[in-house]
Amino acid sequence: MTKPLTFAVPKGRILDEALPVMARAGVVPESGFHDKSNRSLSFATEKSDMRIIRVRAFDVATFVAFGAAQAGIVGSDVIEEFNYSELYAPVDLDIGHCRLSVAEPVEGAGAEPVANASHLRIATKYPNITSRWFERKGIQAECVKLNGAMELAPTLGLAGRIVDLVSTGRTLEQNGLVEKDRIMPISARLIVNRAALKTDQRVADLVDAFRAIANKAAA
Amino acid sequence: MTDSINDLLPEGLQDRLPPLAGQAAHIARAMLDNMDSHGYDRVHPPLIEFEQSLAGRMDGVQPRQMFRFVDPRSLRMLALRSDMTVQIGRIAATGLADAPRPLRLCYAGPVARMTGDQLDPSRENMQLGAELIGSDTVAAAAEMVCLAIDALKAAGATGISVDFTLPDLVDTLAREALPLAPEQVDAVRRELDAKDAGGLRDAGGEAYVPLLYATGPFDEAIEKLAAIDAGGTLATRITALRQIAAQAAGKARLTLDPSERHGFEYQSWFGFTLYADGVRGVMGRGGTYHIKGKEEPATGFSLYPEQLADAQGLSADIRPKLFLPIGHDRDVAAALRAEGWRTLAALDAGDDAAKLGCTHRLDGTVPAPL
Repeated sequence: MTKPLTFAVPKGRILDEALPVMARAGVVPESGFHDKSNRSLSFATEKSDMRIIRVRAFDVATFVAFGAAQAGIVGSDVIEEFNYSELYAPVDLDIGHCRLSVAEPVEGAGAEPVANASHLRIATKYPNITSRWFERKGIQAECVKLNGAMELAPTLGLAGRIVDLVSTGRTLEQNGLVEKDRIMPISARLIVNRAALKTDQRVADLVDAFRAIANKAAA
Repeated sequence: MTDSINDLLPEGLQDRLPPLAGQAAHIARAMLDNMDSHGYDRVHPPLIEFEQSLAGRMDGVQPRQMFRFVDPRSLRMLALRSDMTVQIGRIAATGLADAPRPLRLCYAGPVARMTGDQLDPSRENMQLGAELIGSDTVAAAAEMVCLAIDALKAAGATGISVDFTLPDLVDTLAREALPLAPEQVDAVRRELDAKDAGGLRDAGGEAYVPLLYATGPFDEAIEKLAAIDAGGTLATRITALRQIAAQAAGKARLTLDPSERHGFEYQSWFGFTLYADGVRGVMGRGGTYHIKGKEEPATGFSLYPEQLADAQGLSADIRPKLFLPIGHDRDVAAALRAEGWRTLAALDAGDDAAKLGCTHRLDGTVPAPL
């Protein structure tokens, strides 16, 4: 018997937009998946040889990179942050759009200008992307890794700036911050494990199915 | 007595214990014997060399990833090898420079690197491989692909899959057919590596997007690659790939991924990756390359036998073990060993055959199952 495929999806932001796309590609979770009181993490799908796991966005990339899950959906921010060599991101699903940006307090209060700095302290969930981006500008970024509520860091003096996802900019505004530089645009991608893609035809078929949908949507 | 701090092994290093250590040795021996039967001669380079000789022989070797220290004798920098292929290159260019070509060599030994990563934290690995020096033709490439498959099969690997690639594809295309500015090449390569169509367009590599689709089972993928072949630049490559695939057909599952570059730092026109059932990630890699200094072409591959031992796991060690009680007939025991039995002799009367992992007990002159 062949082993079932495991498809990893992230909790939160991207999931609501991803479900219809997944459905068109034939990945439909059992009804328990939508039940908020259900504490399971692993769900059956309409296909007998596939199951879905629901984990944190950063863990989607890790599960797939290790081959514990063969495929998944995650934002390009996570892919870029880990830069796992075993990950392929073959399909841009054109959902979950936002951007990764540097933000600082309004009117530059308390933050020294980037142009003259050689060292900055930055609060972020993305220390790798952040330090790479600032490195290219000749700045040594000292990253304070936070897992949420980055916006508090500048006001409380934890760090002068933050690097975080921005979609409408409302959260920044309400916390007295202003978006300065855009590091990269973000959208959700289908990711697959390299070895799984090359050794399991079902993974390649899955990529083809998602690619067909993405192409149709783009046309 | 154990001292939990002083007995701790550094991160990424581990003891291999029975039965896995024996299993790994058995696999390595089976692979080396197979290469030997194909006429490959064993060489045994040293564990430590001058850093320069390890770094200078091939492109893309990263001395930063090697354990390095100063030699108290010569005051030059020494390094622990991280890849034996470069040592074979040195041997071919020095000690065996005058040996007739093509030169067929095989080797096995531990390699080390300074840091592991989250996906593969190990800092020491067993590397085993074969190199065909003096040729990087289609015939040489086909021989190496078939030898690698054969060696893996001899070691008991199942579900073998070979993925072909053209490591210098981007450089070749960027020169003329699908021109790229020099500063774009790296970004395009990076996005091709991640198979990221969206990122590839953003990086200015729109023309390279079809390459992402020319992947998959060999016969279909090579047709797609032929269809997008820009101005015939790749015609000879495509013909060569077809010839190699024809020779390996039926021996393993064949796939093509022309833009795969991961792990092919110094390979030239042809590369291949080996996968096997149960092995997490890559089982081995090979391809054509250039030995600097002697400017000689070569083709070869490396395998990582410990990966296979992990995949086969404990199920592989079901070899019978024969318990020899005190006062047994030594000639009978010797004869049984010659037949292939593994024996374990009692040291004192209290030894318990079952506890010591024996499956049989010598009863007079015949082994009786426990």
